Amino acid sequence: MAEVRAEMVANVWKVVVAQGDQVADGDTLVILESMKMEIPVLAEGSGTVDLKVEEGQVVQEGDLIATVE
Amino acid sequence: MSLLELERAEPVALSRDPRARLAELFGAADITLLAAADGCGVQAATGFIDGRPVVGFATDAAIQGGAMGAEGCRVIVAAYRTAMDAGAAIVGIWQSGGARLAEGVASLDGVGQVFAAMTRASGRIPQVSVVLGPAAGGAAYGPALTDIVVLGPAGRVFVTGPDVVRSVTGEDVDMERLGGPEPHGRRSGVVHLLADSDVDAIGKAATVVGLLADRDTPVTVVTDRPMANLLPASPRRAYDVHPLIDQFLDSPGVELHARWAPNIVTALGRIGGGPAGVLANNPMRLGGCLDSASAEKAARFVRMCNTFGVPLVVLVDVPGYLPGVAQEWDGVVRRGAKLLHAFAEATVARVTVVTRKAYGGAYIAMNSRSLGATRVFAWPDAELAVMGAVAAVRVLHRRALAGVPEPERPAMETALAAEHTATSGGVRRAVELGLVDEIIDADTTRSAISSVLAAHPRRCGNHGNIPL
Repeated sequence: MAEVRAEMVANVWKVVVAQGDQVADGDTLVILESMKMEIPVLAEGSGTVDLKVEEGQVVQEGDLIATVE
Repeated sequence: MSLLELERAEPVALSRDPRARLAELFGAADITLLAAADGCGVQAATGFIDGRPVVGFATDAAIQGGAMGAEGCRVIVAAYRTAMDAGAAIVGIWQSGGARLAEGVASLDGVGQVFAAMTRASGRIPQVSVVLGPAAGGAAYGPALTDIVVLGPAGRVFVTGPDVVRSVTGEDVDMERLGGPEPHGRRSGVVHLLADSDVDAIGKAATVVGLLADRDTPVTVVTDRPMANLLPASPRRAYDVHPLIDQFLDSPGVELHARWAPNIVTALGRIGGGPAGVLANNPMRLGGCLDSASAEKAARFVRMCNTFGVPLVVLVDVPGYLPGVAQEWDGVVRRGAKLLHAFAEATVARVTVVTRKAYGGAYIAMNSRSLGATRVFAWPDAELAVMGAVAAVRVLHRRALAGVPEPERPAMETALAAEHTATSGGVRRAVELGLVDEIIDADTTRSAISSVLAAHPRRCGNHGNIPL
């Protein structure tokens, strides 16, 4: 199981995948907004995605965004 | 693919014999040792890499686990003297438990003399370390004092091993978690390059030596390759900067510290035939912000390139310094100052290309004109400002914006931002002020950079390369 965590404080601007989707390594899971930038968060590894955030939510550095297993 | 490359592509296990490791470094079947092999635990030899003389030494893991005694340390100090006299690069291949216990303080003195020799050589000759097994204590600080550290898959670098950690702190940790490729590649910044095999590690060291020791290959002006299409359509969208770097270098370079502080990329490569050091913000990581770790990584790279006369190419797309308590407490002021210092003191040719945006203090830090950039280029849509135009008008026109109904606010912000860009910011204003020398078509970047480097005489700074 791979955990995908936020690298920095950000808004969850867009959730690109749906809960339970099959994703491949490098797929965009969500797009964060921080420092006036849209920053895609990518899957590290392939598998079924379990999302832990929703659009509009604020994440802190280190917060869990999703797990892929 | 040459015969040598074919051989290197094969995953052959390399012997632990220092002689075999040095032969691999010099791509030679046999090598000439500087001193006859004895029980001192270190062997040293001279050879050639890319036709230039290089000195190598290797610890012998088969003798007391490669531990360093006074005699072995003398071999290393003598190897350094040979390298310094010849102005040759030096490569150390490490697998050593540190100072020899049985010799007591005499071995500590020997290790200390190795450190002193490394420091005297710092910035004068390129020093590269390859760690292929455990390198503890003195054998950890030896590589750490050099310019570049390459870690093989079995390489482990730590000050105190798992047994001592367990007895002192009760913490149960193995050598890999303590000082293997994962912690040193991603967290500590101790290691510049991770390798897949021992042969790969030695090959990477040879590649780096070939670049850092090349003080004479002239730069020729090269033909262009398309680059504009490598940016995303939306100026707000993050992207990976690596394809841009690969596009203007002759061929893909060697990225140092690839996984540590990845929001800035530092890479050695060639443009127009000559060596170049590349720094680039990577918007894909932390939005490309500078932070304390990335500033420190970049500062050390700038100083290394400067002292060896490797010109710098700086690709700028930076939204600013990363804000927050964590950064301030992490010393972003002190560690960020290192980058300002490194660029401002550098005497090598250094070319800046602003691709998208350069805001605030990070604009200054990324080799701005004020810090003495040789030449500053900007792509046509680049923005140079204290902050983004929308953010700026939200501050400057706070009252006016508060006075209009909510639904009308975005339109007013956009209008004010356009006006603000026209009057105060914008790349054309930066050209008028002489902060940008020239607006260039993105697709002419490669020829623009190589023209500057070709016209500029090779120079190098006169300072050591302290491991910042």
